[in-house]
Amino acid sequence: MATDVPAVKLIGWYGSPYVHRAEVALRLKGVPYEFIRDDPINKSELLLQHNPIHKKVPVLLHGDRTICESLVILEYVDETFDGPPLLPVDPYERAMARFWAHFIDQKFARPFWMSFWMCEDDEHKEAFVKEAKGNLAILEEQLKGRRFFGGDAVGFLDVAACGLAHWLGVIEEVSGVTLVNGDEFPAFCKWAKAYVNDDTVKQSLPDRDELLAFFSGNKEIYMALARATLHK
Amino acid sequence: MATAGGEVTCVDFWANGFGMRARIALRELGVAFRYVEEDLRSGDRSELVRRMNPVHRSIPILIHGGRPVCGSVNILEYVDETWGNDGGPRLLPRDPLQRAHARFWADFVDQKVFSTQTRFLKSKGAEKEAAKEELLDQLRRLEEVLGDKTFLAGDEFGFLDAVLIPFSSMFHGYEQHGGFSLETECPSLMRWVRRCKERDSVKSVLPDEDEMYELHKKWYGISE
Repeated sequence: MATDVPAVKLIGWYGSPYVHRAEVALRLKGVPYEFIRDDPINKSELLLQHNPIHKKVPVLLHGDRTICESLVILEYVDETFDGPPLLPVDPYERAMARFWAHFIDQKFARPFWMSFWMCEDDEHKEAFVKEAKGNLAILEEQLKGRRFFGGDAVGFLDVAACGLAHWLGVIEEVSGVTLVNGDEFPAFCKWAKAYVNDDTVKQSLPDRDELLAFFSGNKEIYMALARATLHK
Repeated sequence: MATAGGEVTCVDFWANGFGMRARIALRELGVAFRYVEEDLRSGDRSELVRRMNPVHRSIPILIHGGRPVCGSVNILEYVDETWGNDGGPRLLPRDPLQRAHARFWADFVDQKVFSTQTRFLKSKGAEKEAAKEELLDQLRRLEEVLGDKTFLAGDEFGFLDAVLIPFSSMFHGYEQHGGFSLETECPSLMRWVRRCKERDSVKSVLPDEDEMYELHKKWYGISE
């Protein structure tokens, strides 16, 4: 499997955990790539041309091939390039990794997000926090005392869960809501630390102070959106 | 061979489009399985579903050698990886790029088509008209994916066909609800539907379209 020809490019927005997923996958496989920084407020023709359906990042360009959707990109990178496998080898373990990755993107995401950005005195906030913590407990259980979801090394599910490792602390700081603590979620906290300190992962984590500034700047927008989407 | 690794059970409901995907896939690969019906019309989920899928309490659930696999697309990948082999039929294409495209469009069906059709069936007036146009656009987009090919990813029936074909059991319902004809709006997609329905796997799984629409009318509170 060729790893150096043709060229690999990744269109992304700075600070996006979905983009980070794609970057880490490429780095774990040792694939050199060019990062094309796009602007979510002012999307480029390149992005719109290559992802007309969703108009979102990440978008992987591999020679004349285009691949969209971060989890689809993870699987493509795993199947195309040499290097340590991202997904487990066993079909049942693969099914579990995919199941939990989709859980994070679907059922987990909304109560998690809403917990941070609902007003303190909103009667719904408590219910969201309860649901978010319930979901965190489920993930805590999945770690089963392992260093990473994938075992000894960072794998597909760890990468899929990256937002919970690096971005979570920033969001907690900006919103003033703490969901995760070492008493309730000891394995999860250890995992988050191990993930952000991994040598390969580190290289594609956005700077924490820049993320802090970004989320602080958007706090009012997130809170307004949370109120607006409450009944959706 | 067909049951290597233990007994196979599929927990599903006859009118569940997501479950039809799993049952079609199992039949395509010649996997013998036990079908256990979960009646979605009753409010509570059975003890089996609550035990095998505690996170979502949804169906289909594939149980293989006592271990559950949940999520219809997840089940398709698992069935392909467990029972598909080089000598025989496979669900997913071999080439990584084609696999990525199949997964992208399956995600499009789940993210976009499913939520649009639900909104279309549940809404009235201007909202219903807007949803109808969106649904037709999405089906036309899938027609573009089909292009000149026999099936959605090539010459062989596979993963993406299994993902989309269950929706065809609601096409009659969409037409009645929206006052349009899919033969007129999406003729080549309808030819694809007929090709799929020639297959034993699809024929034996897709329910009667009138029954599907009647059930969904009740579910979504649609009154004529």
